[in-house]
Amino acid sequence: MRRRLDGFELDVAFQADEGRVVLFGPSGAGKSLTLQAITGVMRPDAGRVEVNGRLLFDGASGLNLPPQERRMGYVPQSYALFPHLTVQQNVAYGIQRLDAARRRALVQDMVELAGLQGLERRRPHELSGGQQQRVALARALASRPELLVLDEPFSNIDTGLRGTLRRELLDLQARSGIATLVVTHDLDDAFFLGSRIVVIDRGRVLQAGSREDIFYRPATRRVAEFVGTRNILRATVLESTSQRLLLDWQGRLLEADPLPLSQGQEVDVCIRPTQVMIVRSDRLPHLPPPENPLCGTIVGEALQAEAYVLRFRLTDPATTGRTAPYDLEIELPDYVYFRLGLNQKKDATISIHRSSMHVIPVAEVVGARCCPG
Amino acid sequence: MLKALAPDRITFTLAALLLLIFLVLPVAAILVKVAQATAPLDALGSSVVTEALRLSLVTSSISAAVAAVLGTPVAFLLARYRFPGRAVVDSLVDLPMVLPPAVAGLGLLMAFGRRGILGGALDVLGLELAFTTAAVVMAQTFVAAPFYIRSAKAGFEGVDRELERVSATLGSSRLRTFFRVTVPLAGPALMGGAVMAWARALGEFGATIMFAGNTIGRTQTMPLAIYIAFQSDLTASLVLAGILVVVSFAVLFTFKVLLGRSPLGAARA
Repeated sequence: MRRRLDGFELDVAFQADEGRVVLFGPSGAGKSLTLQAITGVMRPDAGRVEVNGRLLFDGASGLNLPPQERRMGYVPQSYALFPHLTVQQNVAYGIQRLDAARRRALVQDMVELAGLQGLERRRPHELSGGQQQRVALARALASRPELLVLDEPFSNIDTGLRGTLRRELLDLQARSGIATLVVTHDLDDAFFLGSRIVVIDRGRVLQAGSREDIFYRPATRRVAEFVGTRNILRATVLESTSQRLLLDWQGRLLEADPLPLSQGQEVDVCIRPTQVMIVRSDRLPHLPPPENPLCGTIVGEALQAEAYVLRFRLTDPATTGRTAPYDLEIELPDYVYFRLGLNQKKDATISIHRSSMHVIPVAEVVGARCCPG
Repeated sequence: MLKALAPDRITFTLAALLLLIFLVLPVAAILVKVAQATAPLDALGSSVVTEALRLSLVTSSISAAVAAVLGTPVAFLLARYRFPGRAVVDSLVDLPMVLPPAVAGLGLLMAFGRRGILGGALDVLGLELAFTTAAVVMAQTFVAAPFYIRSAKAGFEGVDRELERVSATLGSSRLRTFFRVTVPLAGPALMGGAVMAWARALGEFGATIMFAGNTIGRTQTMPLAIYIAFQSDLTASLVLAGILVVVSFAVLFTFKVLLGRSPLGAARA
């Protein structure tokens, strides 16, 4: 679908099968506009919106179902509970057409499904953020929508509670069996909730795929940055064979899995901090040599919960005039940190598995830039 | 913290007292003078007083109701839609608030009076509006409607549009959303506007005397009766004024208490 709006153009195409799809991107990426187009509160200029085989909007034929006929279970960022109604009345809002007995039974079911027993007569302002969210979900699910649409479901929730609420949401979604579309700019939310992820930026889909695809195999540097890849190394192809890819990174040789690239091409290498290994100094000699060994020093460290995040700087890098204070980020569990004696010894040799390196060819425009001298 | 704030609080309280005393003193003076008057209740016996009170309560209530029923669509349009000439409409709606009531009365007479621009057409229909009870209601509605529209417009603007969107996705038509979500949420503002419009209608004097005249039992409302009595019988005038003060205060106060108790009022507090 497409939509132009004051210099902002949204051009999004994606398909979502049953299950949980996350629309992930920074603020201003066009996520909310996409939701509005799906729920029908905004009319796109062109394109199609189809859910479960039912056409909701078609620019070509002029079809545009109003929101009340789309059967979308919409849970906005603010939850938008009706403040003048009780929990019970909120949940019953979308099922007024049912007769009283069935309505009461369904509301009761929803209250139980969402774990809201005992809160039926409360009003929204008397509920916690998590409870409000569950009411909004129960209200949306009561009318058995074709699609549950959640806009930034945890932006109003304290960080400490998010983990629990994510699990609850997942659980509730699984029990209701209703396909769900979640919009978020939060990486953790995206990976926790989405079985399929659509990465969107500046009104365009950058990549759509399984959670693993997006996380381990980002298609572009921009997607890699969005999904929090902390090590993105710019390297040059030295040799490309059917066996391997040999790269030059700051004068060091890196060996990666083969890719059909030509010699001299610039690439971005993504390495997850958890996949950088530190070579033990007492490594047994009969073991095969470590892949891609690199010497350097730990120049900074931070303890995050039960993991150490280390900043690693290569010894004597070939490139001169580099400004980055460190070259790689490494993350390892605290017990490994202590067992390796890293609390005392800051010099180390690291190793990166060939398979841990995800190589992305640099787009032509960026690759064509000229280096002085 | 509280201690640090205390001096400011004292300053503000003293400053507030100055105006509060100024506002309360005339009202209190009327009640004091009524209490001091010899046989104030005799005035109540006269049919002039009871007729004026009855007429005032009936006409101001009708005027407030008319302002609310006809003013709600106007307020909603102004709050929600951008259309050419919106600023003009918005200003026209406010105009009666700033016009002297005498100008309002003159205008009504020139529009609906026998020699007014619609007078001929109304004559054909056998309708004569000027100097009837209907004219009292028209004069009151003219000056009071802006108070309702102002308040209702602010109320509609304050309703979270997201709630209306959710209502639509839950299968509600626009009309159902309006009555089930928008109106209840704007309720305090709508009620507040209606009460202000009623209070303004109750106090209407200038436009009424010019457009409706001063006929006892038909067009002589409380303010008119007070003014007339003032020229001959000060005690009667005082008693009438006292009744008006008490009734007005009772309505405003009851409204405030009810608003504080409503679920929406509590949610906002």
